[in-house]
Amino acid sequence: MSTSFENLTVGDMIDGPKFDVSRESIRLFCDGSLDYNPLHLDDDYMKNSFGKTNFGGIIMHGMNNFGLITRMLTDWAYPAGAIQRRLETRWLKPVKPGDTIQPLGVVKSKQSTQKSNWVLIDVLVRNQRGEHVAAGEAMVEFPTSGSIAARAG
Amino acid sequence: MTQAPAFETDFWKDANLRKVWDDIVPGEPRKTIPYKLTLEAIQLYCRSVGEDHPLYFDETYAKKTPYGGLIAPPSIHILLMFACTPTDDWMRTPGTINAGQSWSYNKPARPGDTITLQARALDKFIKRERLFVVHDNVFFNQHGDVICSGRGQTIRPA
Repeated sequence: MSTSFENLTVGDMIDGPKFDVSRESIRLFCDGSLDYNPLHLDDDYMKNSFGKTNFGGIIMHGMNNFGLITRMLTDWAYPAGAIQRRLETRWLKPVKPGDTIQPLGVVKSKQSTQKSNWVLIDVLVRNQRGEHVAAGEAMVEFPTSGSIAARAG
Repeated sequence: MTQAPAFETDFWKDANLRKVWDDIVPGEPRKTIPYKLTLEAIQLYCRSVGEDHPLYFDETYAKKTPYGGLIAPPSIHILLMFACTPTDDWMRTPGTINAGQSWSYNKPARPGDTITLQARALDKFIKRERLFVVHDNVFFNQHGDVICSGRGQTIRPA
């Protein structure tokens, strides 16, 4: 059954894809994002401390979380003709090679405005230990019929 | 490897030319460069996060949707941030830690678009001995349409 604005209920869950983090996945994200910061590449550099923090090795890009949350939201929204309009995230814990992460969404509220319908979604990313590594909030628009083609332009 | 062969992947290069926290002036525009977004670059980004939606890969499918053709996923600004800035931009400074971002999406980017960026630091502050800069960005396509706009916070190397 496809999702629609009418049949969504506060508390509805969105399951995101599991993602295995490895040195190779982080390297591929460097190539995909053009972000070659040594935080993600250079083990010797990562022996340094950053302020009071020592990561003990390379870490995944925070924006890899952002990309995975987006993948979850758009895979959920597209079949309903809905559009990801906003995503806000913050990082809570570093993610390292060997971790498996998975984003999750929970419908927080629904609101109709003068011209459209909006769903607010709490998002988070958990690792294999159940720890929250990223959290945030998204807005998905469910356009009223007829408007999507014009807006998708 | 499939795109932007001129892209400098050694972020230590030109590191001495980049602004440190003390030099960054909130409100001052960052230097940016137009970037031709290719299908190859979109699909390489997609593979790096496991995106496999046919809107990004299957033109025959995409043409039949309201989008009328292939698009990039909303999160493509992750790539555009580095593609549209020069090697001496402070976002490349080794040790730059991303503390969080918020983005609003208007129109999808498409393969073949020439993307431009208007960007600046908007604010800087010290919190618990850490040096923060707030950055503020808007990406446009070649028609002058806003693709997306966003803000983020980075912690600068001390």
